[in-house]
Parts: sequence; structure tokens; C-alpha cells
Amino acid sequence: MNETLLEVRNIRKSFFRKEALNNVSLTVNKGEVFGLLGPNGAGKTTLIRVINRIIEPDEGSVKFDGHLMEANDLRRIGYLPEERGLFKDMTVENHALFLGKLRGLQKKDIQNKMEFWFETFQMNDWRKKRIEQLSKGMAQKVQFICTVLHEPDLLILDEPFSGFDPVNVELIKKQLMSMRAEGKTIILSTHNMKNVEEICDRAALIHEAKKITEGTISELQGAQKTGLYAVRFRGNMLTFVNALWTGFEVYDKTEHGDNRFTVRVTMRNESSFDDLLNVLIGQVSIESAWEVMPTMQDVFINLVQPVSNEE
Amino acid sequence: MKNSLLIAMREWRARVWSRSFLAMSILGPVAVLVFTYLIFAFGDEGEQKWNVLVTDPTNAMEGKIMPGKDKSVTYSFANTEIEHEDFREGSRYQEFDAMIEINRKVFENKISHVFFRDIPSARLRTKVQYQVERRLEEVIADEKFGISVQRYRKIKRPLTMSFVDLSDPYGESNSLNGWVGFFLGGVIILFIGLFGMTILRSVAREKSNRIVEVLMGTCSSRQLMTGKILGVGLSAMLQFVVWIVIIGFGLYWMRETLFVDLLDPRNANFEDAAQQMQNQSYAAKQFSSIEYNRFVDLVYNKINFGLMLSYFVGFFIGGYLFYAAFFASLGASMGTESDGQQFVLPLVFILLISLYTGYYTMNYPGSTLVEWLQYVPFTAPVVAMVKLAQGYGENGYQIYISMAILYASAVGMLLIASRIYKNGILQFGHRLRLVHLLKWLRKT
Repeated sequence: MNETLLEVRNIRKSFFRKEALNNVSLTVNKGEVFGLLGPNGAGKTTLIRVINRIIEPDEGSVKFDGHLMEANDLRRIGYLPEERGLFKDMTVENHALFLGKLRGLQKKDIQNKMEFWFETFQMNDWRKKRIEQLSKGMAQKVQFICTVLHEPDLLILDEPFSGFDPVNVELIKKQLMSMRAEGKTIILSTHNMKNVEEICDRAALIHEAKKITEGTISELQGAQKTGLYAVRFRGNMLTFVNALWTGFEVYDKTEHGDNRFTVRVTMRNESSFDDLLNVLIGQVSIESAWEVMPTMQDVFINLVQPVSNEE
Repeated sequence: MKNSLLIAMREWRARVWSRSFLAMSILGPVAVLVFTYLIFAFGDEGEQKWNVLVTDPTNAMEGKIMPGKDKSVTYSFANTEIEHEDFREGSRYQEFDAMIEINRKVFENKISHVFFRDIPSARLRTKVQYQVERRLEEVIADEKFGISVQRYRKIKRPLTMSFVDLSDPYGESNSLNGWVGFFLGGVIILFIGLFGMTILRSVAREKSNRIVEVLMGTCSSRQLMTGKILGVGLSAMLQFVVWIVIIGFGLYWMRETLFVDLLDPRNANFEDAAQQMQNQSYAAKQFSSIEYNRFVDLVYNKINFGLMLSYFVGFFIGGYLFYAAFFASLGASMGTESDGQQFVLPLVFILLISLYTGYYTMNYPGSTLVEWLQYVPFTAPVVAMVKLAQGYGENGYQIYISMAILYASAVGMLLIASRIYKNGILQFGHRLRLVHLLKWLRKT
């Protein structure tokens, strides 16, 4: 059974008359990458700020590692806000030293960890430069380093990939995967659903101050699946259609040339995936067949749009 | 507290290693020294003409004054005693600007009263004192001791002229000393204004580039604000110490080189002085040297700098904390970095008013309004410094009440400001209005 690291219970938060969070609860397990999803203005940043004790909730509680969260726990958290800033007049090294000390590290420790991270991100030549002299991408690397320098147990990253080129996105992803392998827990707030599919284990979707859903990525996709199956085969298209008979219906097809096709079908009556394969075997040469799962992009749109349409 | 100290040290380093800090640390005191030099050297250059009535009932001066070509002072003599009330009100005395009393007592205690209608310039006072004293020296040396003027000058006790304002005959004010207090109070306000604006801009900048959210992920808003105020305050104190050292050294250097007391018997050659008495340019030089003495004496001897500086530090810290909390909360409330200018102006206005109350205190130190102003935290730092310079603080309990109220208000202001700071620091994009401040103040 998964061990819970963070437990958010019934959080409510309003800013004057505007409700930012309405009875939001979620659980983040140790060692997982948890996606915090939602459209702009849904309440994600407010929730993250509540978790970080930057703002206090009107109601509800946050438990961290089995106890009600305290100020000291913040040293076990690394937070990279979406709109992140740096002290432009400080050097890269001094900036990291300052934030490291603020998170309770000794100077020697900070210097050792800086060595590793500056080496990893190939920033050794930049450590004496002032922040204002750095490019945007380079500054973002500094921000990332400052967030992970104290080796937090929980990393909360709000849009960590924005502004990075694809090479650096891969570099950051690699580091995140490596941290997860070390047992670190990561909360990832992002609008990039492809990244969610790639690196998140579980996710929750917040919309209009409420949590709409929470679960593993496959659970979320499964809940939104449309009953479509795809078959990639070589053979005659007419033979394929005839073989389906009355149990299945062609949804769409893609021709690849050289008598190769990918066809998506829907089930009729009580037909199953096995039935589909049974009717096709011997009729066409099947190269592959699979259940078509919705992408996280589809899941996101499916879950968010109906609520929007109700207004 | 550790987080506040870390933030304070970062702030301190950021300020102290900036070029503007270095420039201000050097140029500020140099400007003060140059200004002081100019006052010492040319402070009373503007010509003011005086028609003076000398009351000399014993006719000791025989209707004569020191010979010279100076046209700025005209002397008339009366061989009767005239009360200063009669002089002030009497129609036949209205043509005179001042009345000098030369009576028997003057020869004993060497104190002569000068009643004036309009405040004379320091140069004019010096001139009158010089001219009257020289004539008296002749009279005393010849008539009382039968020795030469030169010999007498070597053994004499100098004449003290007590200038009395006819509209304030009991001389409550000690305006020259008051100026020193006003200057120190002005320095407090200047530093509060400069470093307060530094806090405001710094908080607004950190808010606008969102570093504040990173910091708040580690420490509380109160720690953040305390660290900011502490760090900027420490850099202000450092700058103040640099000022004191440079100004102190500069004043010492000026005393030793530029403003050596020419009339000090140890330095002066009175034989030459007597021979050159008719030489107007030399006489003018002598006047100047007396003026130097007045200011140099004020700066080096009359002001108890040890006492003044210790109270200065006390009022500076209290005043800084009181105003800095204001500036910090205002910076935290701004929607954008350029927002909130409409709230900066009233703050600057309050600082200017506080400066003016110092000037008012110099002129009316005993007034009821001043009694109250010294307890108002907005004005206390300047008013108290002026009153201290005028001499009330050495045995007055009011100064302690004033400081206690200031510190209590500073604590209250920090609590209020931290609430606004906490609720406003993560609000972005709005146009700051008073209603925002009130809402954030009410919100727990």
C-alpha cells in the first residue's frame, strides 16, 4: 500500500467574495509524481500556496508526512512558482547560497550540492555572473537548482518546463525521473498534457475551485475511454469490413499504402476485443491491435468543457 | 528570527555594495562639510544696516565708538537709562533698530544687553560686539587701570553681549544651538525618507518579479518584512556612522587648519592688531574670525555631541522603524512596481511637515503646540532633537516619554503594517486604492 506524504482535506479559500477553492481534498503518495491539472484560474496556484503555507485556508487542513503541516516542514519542500523571480543583482553562486541557507543548509553543504548541479546543467562558467547577465533559459536553470538544492522530500513545480528549449526540457525531465527513483515526491502543475502522460503517476483535475477528479493516469484515461479499438493490418479493406459483420462498426480508417491500414472500430452489442480478433484472424494479416485510450489532452478537454458549457 | 537575519544580511549587502551607497556615503558628508565651511566663511555676507542707540547714563563712552569706516552700523548715544519696554513702544525710539545698554554693571560683569527689533545677522552682531568692545577696552584700560589698551587686552575678560529680541525679551529660544538639533533632526528625516523609499522600491520590485513567492515558501511574511526593514536599517546606520566619521574628521581638520581662533590670545598678535586697527580689510578679517568663533565654538564647544548623538541614535531607530513599516506595507500593497505613487506623496508630505515642526520648535520652543508635537510619533524625532539641542533633555523627563511613545507607536505600526504586508504581498495587477489597504488591514 502506498504511503501518504501529503493529505489535503476540505480546503476552502475565498478572496473577498470570490471563491478560489471549494472543499478541495487530495492525497499525494510518497515517491510519486502527481499532476495538478486545471485550466487557468481554476485554483491550482492557490492550492499550492496553501500547501506551502504562503496563504492560510479559510477551512480545511494540510497533513504532511502524517502530521498537521508546520512551518518547519517547509524545509522539506522545494517550491518553484510559475512566475518565478530572482534577485537580479546577486551572482548565481550567492543566490544559491542565500536560498540554501534560508532552507537550513550549511555553507559547505550548499557548495557541495552546487558543484553537482552546476556540473549537471553545465553552468560552471556562469556561477560568478550576476543574474541580470543570464539568458532567460539560464536563469530558469538557476531557479530550478535553487528549488532542489536542499534535496526536498516534496518538490512542487508550477509549470517547470515553460521557457525551456526541448533539450533542456528533456534534461529537467531526466532529473525529475531520477529524483522519483530516489523516492522523492513531486507535484507537477502544468498545462502540457503530454508531459503529464510521460512522467505523472497520478493526477487531480481542479476546475472552478473544485476538484473534479483524481486518480492514476490510466484510471483517468480509462474513465474517459470511448470504446474504440484500433487494428493495424495488411490485406484487403473489403475483406476486413466483411469480416466485421454485425458485431462491429468502422469508426475511421487510415491508409498507409502497400495494402496497409489502421482502422478504428466500435463494438456493437456485447462484442469484446477478443471477438474482434477472432473474426479478423485468417481474414487479414494483423500487425497490431489495441484499445484506443484517450490522451490526457482529451481527458482534460472532456472534463473541463462540459462544466464550462453548463454556465 | 534566523530567517529575518539572513534576509537582513542579504539586504544589507545589496545596499552596501551598491554604487549609490558608496556615493551617498562620501558625497553626503562632503556636502555637509562644504555647507558648514560656507556658513563658517561666508554665512553672513548680506549687508544689513543697523541704527543703534547706546544708553550710557554715566557717559563712560563719551559718545564715541571705535574708529572705522563701517557704514552698516550707525551709533547714537543717550545719557539716560531706557527700559526695553519704553524702547520697544516709544515713538521717538522707533527709528532705532537696537538699543545697547552700557551701565555700571557692564564694567563689573562684562555683560551688555542688546535689545533688537529684527533679528540681526551673525556678522552684524559680531561687528557691533567688536566695535563696542574695542571702545570699552579703551575706557576700562585708561580709566580703571591706567594701562595701555594692548596690555589690557592681554589680561581682559571678553565682553559678553546678550542679544535680546524685543518681542521675546526673556529669551526663551536658543536658536543657534537649535539649528544643530534641527540639522540632526533633518538628517533623521532625510535618512528615513531615503531609506524608506529604498524599502518601498525594493519590496515592490521583489513583488513584481515574484521572488517574494519563493521566499514566502520558506519564511513568513512577517520575517520577510522584518528582515527587509532590519537590513535596510543597518545599511542606513552604517552610512550614518560613515557620515559621523567623515564629518567629525572634517570638522576637526577645519578647526586645526582653516578656522584657527584668531582672537585666541595664544594665536593672536595684538601688537600688530593695534597697529593695523585702522586697516579695514584687516578689521573685516577680524570680524570674520569672530564669526568663525561663534560657529566653531557652537560646533566644537557648545553642543554636547555625546548626548546629542546618543539621543539621535535612539530617535533615529524609533523614527526609522515607525516610518519604515509604513513604506514596507505600501510597497507590498502595490499592484505594479509603478503603482502607489499617490500614497508616496502623502508620506513625503508628512516627512516635510515633521521637518517644519523642527523649524517651528526652534522659534517657539516653549509653546503648547511644541509640547504636544514632541509626543506625536510623526514629529517626535525632529522636535525632540531641536529641544535637546536647546538644552531641555539633560534633566527633562519629557524626552523619555517622547521616546517611549515613539517606540510603542513603532511596534504598533509594525504590527499593523505586517498585516497589510501579509495580505497585500501576493495581490497583483490591481490599482492600489485606500479601500485595499483597509480590507487587508481588517483581514486576519
